Amino acid sequence: MPKNWVRNVSDEQALAAAAAAYMPKGMVRVPFNPQLINTGSKLVLIDTGVGPSPQNPRVGQLMANLAAAGVDPKSVDIVIMSHLHPDHTNGIKTADGGLAFPNAEILVPAMDWAFWMSDENAAKAESNPMMKNYFANVRRVYNNVPANRVTKYEWGKEVAPGITAIDASGHTPGHTAFTVASGNSRVLIQSDVTNIPELFLRNPEWHVAFDVDAPKAVQTRRKFYDMASAEKALVIGFHFPFPAMGYVEKDGTNYRLVPVAWNPAI
Amino acid sequence: MTAEVYRYKVGDIEVTVLSDGFRDVPVDDKYLSNASAEDLAAQLKAEGRPTDFMRNTFSPIVLKTGGKTVLFDTGNGEAQVGPSKGERGLLNQNLAAAGIDRNKIDVVVISHFHGDHVNGLLNADNKTAAFPNAEIKVPAVEWKFWMDDGEKSKASPGRMTELFANNRRMFDALGRKVTPYDWDKEVVPGVTAIGTPGHSIGHTSYIVASGGKRVFVQSDVCNNAFVFAPRPDWHGFFDQDPPQAAATRKRIYDMLVADKLPVQAFHFPFPCLRMIEKSGSGYRTVPISGV
Repeated sequence: MPKNWVRNVSDEQALAAAAAAYMPKGMVRVPFNPQLINTGSKLVLIDTGVGPSPQNPRVGQLMANLAAAGVDPKSVDIVIMSHLHPDHTNGIKTADGGLAFPNAEILVPAMDWAFWMSDENAAKAESNPMMKNYFANVRRVYNNVPANRVTKYEWGKEVAPGITAIDASGHTPGHTAFTVASGNSRVLIQSDVTNIPELFLRNPEWHVAFDVDAPKAVQTRRKFYDMASAEKALVIGFHFPFPAMGYVEKDGTNYRLVPVAWNPAI
Repeated sequence: MTAEVYRYKVGDIEVTVLSDGFRDVPVDDKYLSNASAEDLAAQLKAEGRPTDFMRNTFSPIVLKTGGKTVLFDTGNGEAQVGPSKGERGLLNQNLAAAGIDRNKIDVVVISHFHGDHVNGLLNADNKTAAFPNAEIKVPAVEWKFWMDDGEKSKASPGRMTELFANNRRMFDALGRKVTPYDWDKEVVPGVTAIGTPGHSIGHTSYIVASGGKRVFVQSDVCNNAFVFAPRPDWHGFFDQDPPQAAATRKRIYDMLVADKLPVQAFHFPFPCLRMIEKSGSGYRTVPISGV
């Protein structure tokens, strides 16, 4: 675990929570799980992972796993970004800088795009190495993506068939969650409303290092999970343990993830 | 079908968990011999599970150890794919999805002689070997019991006579060519066989150890994680000696708790790798992603 990974508690406290969840000693394990949704008429990918990563083969596996699942990247119609952090957005590019999903429209949250593409905001972030890196990364990744391939979307609207964007700001200014609804069924895609649930659902007041506005992220988290637990809604989390689905229960003033088992047949 | 394959490492040993599918079991008075359907439903409700049925899953594992590819248990058999409408008998499909060639499996280790563990030894034709180049290792106690004609003649009608018939059918088709193995000895490199009788007379678990890491492969010490972990004294209809099965379960789970030893199960929710914690008068199972 990098030092001060949880901003408002000690490293000892954070690592104790990780150890209680049986993570390797001195470490937090953060998985990355993009979601592919077949709406019937469209193949929609929500988030794309960290992208090609030859130096660290433990991540950047989306393309290999799409192939294993029998999905041709050319057949993806829409790629939706929940927000513009590197572990969500960098997978839109191939190792040689081309488009990983050459036929897909790329949807980005309007608020995140405005924030990260603002030169004024970038200038203000010069003194913060992490933020400086994020600003540079967004520019590098989208630099050679043709403008007509990128569509900005607003909250409260259907962005693809059955998929509605929800304001979940705090983690980033344009951070977005989604509802996916069909027939009587509904699933919530929480994106990064919490980072790993072992730390941040169990302790919803904790601030992960990557939050742009951590107090607002806490507020969003509580609002989202009070709703999800009351509704007994099925939740998918980008950083939940694979297959990254579960129900969330209230546990005093905190929350607990009840993971859903892998289903051998659909 | 969704491919179910999960990999992790125990030191230098690579473990691949492969689903053979599932069977939905009714919540009725036949499932437990010392508690009622109502007790069972109440326990399932307390665990947040459906109370009208239980989904039993089957997950054999493959170990790559010491240059050998070793399969532990074989699932319900490919002959079951059709009759179960694709619900089980899926091991061979998932082996293919995992890129594991059945012809290159060197050893098949059987934990005990129940149909969901041995029937995958044969192909869908129920005649030919599904793992044609593998040595088949079986617990010596189990082999002696099920192949003994005296024991067979004493079997009580029903489940026991059916098990004798099934085991004879399986192993006769294979010309009874097996290698019996003993408890407390290494059965394949890095893997020690541990006697955990009760569920069957020769029921066997394993300790997989490499590079300072260990995993306890429990086989069927505890069937449904939401029933027999919190209520270790309950007797399942599938246990040959239910009081011994319960005693074994508590002895092994107390050891797993004390040693903080992860357990790889056959019937837990996929991928079946969990930690065991004490909880009240029983235990709680906590999913983990690796060791």
